[in-house]
Amino acid sequence: MNRRFLSPWVTVRVQFVLAAFFVVAGVAKIADPPGFAHEVHNYQIVPGALVNVMALVLPWLEVITGVCLFLGIAVRTSARILGILLAVFIAALSINLARKHPVECGCFGTAKVQKTDAQRLTDMKWAIARDVGLLLLVAQILAASRADVRRP
Amino acid sequence: MLAVAVVCAAVSNAVAGPERHLRWIGSYEAASGAPSAVRPAAVPAPTPPASSPVPGAASSSAAARAFPPHPEKPWAEISGDDVVSLHERGDVPFLDARRTSVYREGHIAGARPFSIWESDVDDKVKAFFAEGHDPSQPIVVYCSGGECEDSHMLATKLHMAGFDNALVYKDGFPDWQKRGLPVHTGDTP
Repeated sequence: MNRRFLSPWVTVRVQFVLAAFFVVAGVAKIADPPGFAHEVHNYQIVPGALVNVMALVLPWLEVITGVCLFLGIAVRTSARILGILLAVFIAALSINLARKHPVECGCFGTAKVQKTDAQRLTDMKWAIARDVGLLLLVAQILAASRADVRRP
Repeated sequence: MLAVAVVCAAVSNAVAGPERHLRWIGSYEAASGAPSAVRPAAVPAPTPPASSPVPGAASSSAAARAFPPHPEKPWAEISGDDVVSLHERGDVPFLDARRTSVYREGHIAGARPFSIWESDVDDKVKAFFAEGHDPSQPIVVYCSGGECEDSHMLATKLHMAGFDNALVYKDGFPDWQKRGLPVHTGDTP
């Protein structure tokens, strides 16, 4: 069971899924940096002076790590970076959920549809669940690549 | 990988147009909670009589309401009725703090685009100051109402630039549309 879970067949598909997700998410944010800066600011976690740096660099980091995963380049490093990003996203959403501060996820750039506070809070819960799922995929890649390293 | 991301971000930002360009260091003032921005001492503080009626006010009861300057705080929130009366006066600047792309889709007739999230907002505020507007006269700023804080952030920038009478239309553009009031589309006010 464990062996099947860590097999190259599964790992390659997991890499593709993660790569597709982060490339799409990154490109959407790159298309509109001020919109993403707005979303980052709304989280009220990042100091005002750092909002723009984050809004400019983070989407490119997502795209580059996604492309690396897709091409099978620096897979472990890419997976680690995505793992850290996902942990940060989960923490940011959880903090705002805990203080009942509804925010747009901003995961795929700026939201086009106006939502109510209740809808936003529900969406935040779903976004956390999705990010936890993606984190499990990252764990699979790391575990599989570790097993590869150990294999003679 | 981080270095590559920084380089890509720098190149992409360098070639971006004004609506997509970002300054690397953000200058966003906190908009939530009590207004607390302190204006630099170098900015001249206008001191008209606080209770003086606004010149040119319309004769209706709502229009007769005075909007005295409030140098101690960056903004005062006003209702849709107040906004309508100020719009009817015709001499009150209206500034739209939403994204320029949203402004194009529809804005209060006569409003100018001052998107707080675009890199040229500081230049626009400076240019607005240089136009010689009386800093104690009302300026209406608005965004999308509800949770939107863009108008408060723009009001803070105006306050820092020397304007003492930024009035935030708290219900914003959705309320204006609901009232069926004049809306313009496109790049021009």
